[in-house]
Amino acid sequence: MGKFWSLLFFLVPILGTGLFLIAANDRAAPLVNHWFPKDVSQYGYVIDNLFMLILWLTGIVFIATEVCLAYFMWRYDRTSNHDPVKYTHGSHSLEVVWTIIPAATLLFIAIYQMNAWADTKINRPLNPGEEIEVNARQFEWRLRYRGPDGRFNTADDLYTVNDLHVPENEDILIRLKSEDVLHSFFLPNLRVKQDAVPGMMIPVWFKPTEIGAYDLVCAELCGWGHYKMRGRIIIQSRSDYDAWLANLEKEQNVYTEQ
Amino acid sequence: MSNWCLTSHCRRRRYDRRFGGELAGNDLLMGSKFFVKKFTVHDDPRDRPKLMVDNSMLRNWIDRSLALLLAVVGLACWGCHAPQPEFHLNEIEIIEQQAAVSEEITPEQRDQIATVLYAMFGTPDAPDNPWEREGAHVSLLAEQGFNVDLLRMAAGPVGSDEQGNTTGLYRLHCSHCHGITGDGRGPTAAFLNPYPRDYRQGVFKAKSTELAAKPTHADLKRTLVEGFPGTAMPSFKLLKDIELEALVEYVKYLTVRGETEIELIFLTSDEGEVPTDPAVLVDEILKPRVEAWKIAEEKVVHPVTPQSFASEAEKLASIERGRTLFYADTGGNCASCHGNLALGDGQLNLYDMWNEPIANPELEAAFLAVGALPPRYLKPRNLRQGVYRFGRRPIDIYRRIYVGIAGAQMPAATLKTSDEGPGVSEQDIWDIVNYVQSLPYEPLSLPPELERAGLRERL
Repeated sequence: MGKFWSLLFFLVPILGTGLFLIAANDRAAPLVNHWFPKDVSQYGYVIDNLFMLILWLTGIVFIATEVCLAYFMWRYDRTSNHDPVKYTHGSHSLEVVWTIIPAATLLFIAIYQMNAWADTKINRPLNPGEEIEVNARQFEWRLRYRGPDGRFNTADDLYTVNDLHVPENEDILIRLKSEDVLHSFFLPNLRVKQDAVPGMMIPVWFKPTEIGAYDLVCAELCGWGHYKMRGRIIIQSRSDYDAWLANLEKEQNVYTEQ
Repeated sequence: MSNWCLTSHCRRRRYDRRFGGELAGNDLLMGSKFFVKKFTVHDDPRDRPKLMVDNSMLRNWIDRSLALLLAVVGLACWGCHAPQPEFHLNEIEIIEQQAAVSEEITPEQRDQIATVLYAMFGTPDAPDNPWEREGAHVSLLAEQGFNVDLLRMAAGPVGSDEQGNTTGLYRLHCSHCHGITGDGRGPTAAFLNPYPRDYRQGVFKAKSTELAAKPTHADLKRTLVEGFPGTAMPSFKLLKDIELEALVEYVKYLTVRGETEIELIFLTSDEGEVPTDPAVLVDEILKPRVEAWKIAEEKVVHPVTPQSFASEAEKLASIERGRTLFYADTGGNCASCHGNLALGDGQLNLYDMWNEPIANPELEAAFLAVGALPPRYLKPRNLRQGVYRFGRRPIDIYRRIYVGIAGAQMPAATLKTSDEGPGVSEQDIWDIVNYVQSLPYEPLSLPPELERAGLRERL
């Protein structure tokens, strides 16, 4: 086989890097819409920046490692390399270096991301503009709004399914629950992804900034019908949102259809 | 023999320590047992022990991998050419009829029934079978008012048409529970409680129409859009309108097909032969069953206009009246099934019409052998959970009380004929609706003076 394997292995970094470069050019063929979907949230850029930082770090290490691998395979190929085998008992200083650099990098990432973690998982908004209960179940998203009295678990709660409406430019607090198995509440355009766990109420929050309809999907294989578990988030202006809520209330209180 | 050196300096150090630099020839402590056949210790003292790999082992391994690959590819290809989905005969109905008439339906008659059904309804891939009449091909289903284009869109394998619409919708979304035949026995059905609906009996629970009538087109569509909370039926709200229309049409088609099949089986065992006269098949069997769907719109139940509450006190008064009616034997008598605390634990040993025939001690084994699901008791609804399968609007709950629930044990309300007579008035039904709607928010523990005897014993 000669040096075939080294060339084959060298294709991995070339194709891998190429794929990223093509995909990052999001608007051009052949890989349209393979990069991040449009960010329509206030904090989404923090997640994106973290992703890019880690992508660059791992990307550089990946390319360096792969190039080394391919070079060694090429240089020390059995058919062309007739040098006698040399054995070494290792280099202590080299091992120290390649232990400390990744450790320091990991430590840096751990400290650098602390605010992002706190903002998305710990510091929930104290006065959210809207609070919505999302009840995941096989295979749909059951949604509950507080209704006119502004409180849950009262007779005027409003119910809908798969169609999450939220007002624009306000903190939205989601009370995420699951009725049966693990699901994952995923809003790709808002950079929000959170597992829904049966028996737990998990708060999730975000602040949408752009009017439009975006995907709400389940990101945790939850059963045979997982693919059906597709919803939609509609970001509206406050007035449209209020009108929609009022209409929902009207629809829920129908006494006659005549 | 090629020398594949599988050693590395760290491994060597370890082994050097353990064996003092010498490896026993049969020690297989390193590497995979598939590759390592024997060690040879080289004479050259500078040369450390090497792992020698017998090439035949490698070839053997490659052979195995190739065999595995072939098997996977073979399986994948077989998957592409899996047996065509087919409509199955209603074996349960056949067993029931045979037991009722104690006369065997012969294999020839079974084939005849299948052929007649094929001629009328086609196959799961082509749900329309043109009839030749006076030299021209006419579509029987189109003649009867079915939208054959929509049926084709819902039927068949999953794909898409020239306009980019998804086709094979029924198999994509429904058949894994409701089954290809619409028998409610798809591969995931056994795991669900309640079981998925068997369309072939032609009975649907969620509807705005009278007890014996079919649901309206809008009712079926609403079922798809809203799903049934409390059951495994999810919402398909985000499907395109045309896709929903296609699925509704297909459910009607499966229903009419299933009802026709039951009628054919009945006539066969009753009269000893399968009806094959087109006039009988179309005019006497098919037509009335299609007609029932068409007249559903006329059978919608419209309640008398309810009171609009002038004050909160009036509403509370209505809820109070509803509470009395809910528990009173002479009023709604709801508690006899829904329980003294409305927890749905009153009457727990009844079946619905889909499970009841299966729960026949003499025939159950035979039913289960042909694929029936083990019968399950019907649970009355726990009204304190605030989960309303067929809609939470007051009008939905009104209709459930007024009409009852088809196929289940919930009876229609007995309406008062005079002011003094037994039963409930329409106004009483609204009072019960108001009480039922207040139940999820009512504290379980009432003041002792309002508590009826035996109320707490269940807790």
